[in-house]
Amino acid sequence: MTTEILLIFWIITAIWIVLAKKTYRVMIFFGVFSLITSVIYLFLGAPDVAMAEAGISAFTTIFFIVCIEKYYSRGGGLKAEMETDAKPKNHFKVIPALLFTIGLCVLFVFFAPVQPEYIVNELRDQYLLMFMSDVGGFNAVTAIYLGYRVYDTLFEALLLVIAVVAVVHLSWFDQNKVSDGRHSEVEQSRMTKFAMRIICPVILLFGMYLVLNGHISAGGGFLGGLAFAGFVICRFLVLGVYDLPIEKAMKLEELVFINIIILPILAIFTGVIYIAWDARELFQNIYLIAMNALVGLKVAFGFFVLFYRYIAIERLPDEGEIDVVEFTDEGEDIR
Amino acid sequence: MIGYIGGIHVLEIFPIILFFISFFGIITSRNIVKSIVCIILMQTAVILFWLGLGARISNLPPIFEYGTYIDDPSMIADPLPQALMLTAIIIGVAVTAINITVLNALFRKYKTVEWEPMQAQAFEDEKPEM
Repeated sequence: MTTEILLIFWIITAIWIVLAKKTYRVMIFFGVFSLITSVIYLFLGAPDVAMAEAGISAFTTIFFIVCIEKYYSRGGGLKAEMETDAKPKNHFKVIPALLFTIGLCVLFVFFAPVQPEYIVNELRDQYLLMFMSDVGGFNAVTAIYLGYRVYDTLFEALLLVIAVVAVVHLSWFDQNKVSDGRHSEVEQSRMTKFAMRIICPVILLFGMYLVLNGHISAGGGFLGGLAFAGFVICRFLVLGVYDLPIEKAMKLEELVFINIIILPILAIFTGVIYIAWDARELFQNIYLIAMNALVGLKVAFGFFVLFYRYIAIERLPDEGEIDVVEFTDEGEDIR
Repeated sequence: MIGYIGGIHVLEIFPIILFFISFFGIITSRNIVKSIVCIILMQTAVILFWLGLGARISNLPPIFEYGTYIDDPSMIADPLPQALMLTAIIIGVAVTAINITVLNALFRKYKTVEWEPMQAQAFEDEKPEM
């Protein structure tokens, strides 16, 4: 019953998002939507996915709000949006789209195959019965994404590397060279600094806890990495200095990615953790903790680079230079 | 635990509705930021659909204590969709980051975040000069 009520609120929030007219409202409704989504995941028995959704949605909202605040509002984007909204809008234009969507939805529901109530799922039974002896740990989700289906994790890590590289290469770079030790434009209030100074070590400890306990409880590499990236953001809020080198972070990320490829090759593809000998459990635990730590470091470096590209480096130049856009392929001036 | 509406499970019908709501949002929104948010909503709908497939019977999380003996695996939520969707969430945020970056580059060029003025300017730019 609780899940159904939450699902109804979920749909209502989504309708708010679709009908909202101002970008800020969209972002606030999106935060509410992600919170409800996270609680629904928790009620469906997926604590790992719920925690990942909560952390990821916080980061996405931060990215969006920073972009709106730093770029679109200064260059007149939000102003233009308000002006267009003030004009009388032709509402009848929406009706064909609405009819089209409702028709698609009805067709989809009408032709959807009826699922039986009880799904015989031999793969689930196999995973749940065997994972403790096969891969180790007490968390079946971690055992799957680090043991049975480690290919997925490899390609996911590769995709995050590609995303970071694409973001760095696609962002603007004429005024974007970060001089180390540059102070931020915004002066944080003393209260924020004081609170962040207390919270910072707690966040770091929490990230380490998540990484080290990823195989025996909810958590794991992704969430630990998000917590590490949150630590970097809080450190920036306390100090107000961009003193962490972004190039070294990117190189370290690639290094960690190579390790993520090498470790499963050594551990799984050679079959060390599957061999039934006495020290197998020890090897399994070492493998799981090391793999979680590597994935966590990788996610942390990736999000750190994204955060720096969005918040610290990319800035809208002054009004006179706004129309100059240059994309170069030389690759030297990029960072 | 959770019932049916018109012969279709609740955990199937709500993600389908959300999918089409976000589809409607994508095809009608004038602001590109809102379009990107609607893409994220669509992805969330797909993720909830998959998680709902694994949590039909029971919603006990697949995390155990030391020394647990699992009697009946069917009373535990399916861990496979959870592991797949954990990966999908991270990939989704990577896609969102690229979307935002491309939007920033477009805003830099056209000085707007709306579809129609941007399209108009792009068509003007593509016209051959007489």
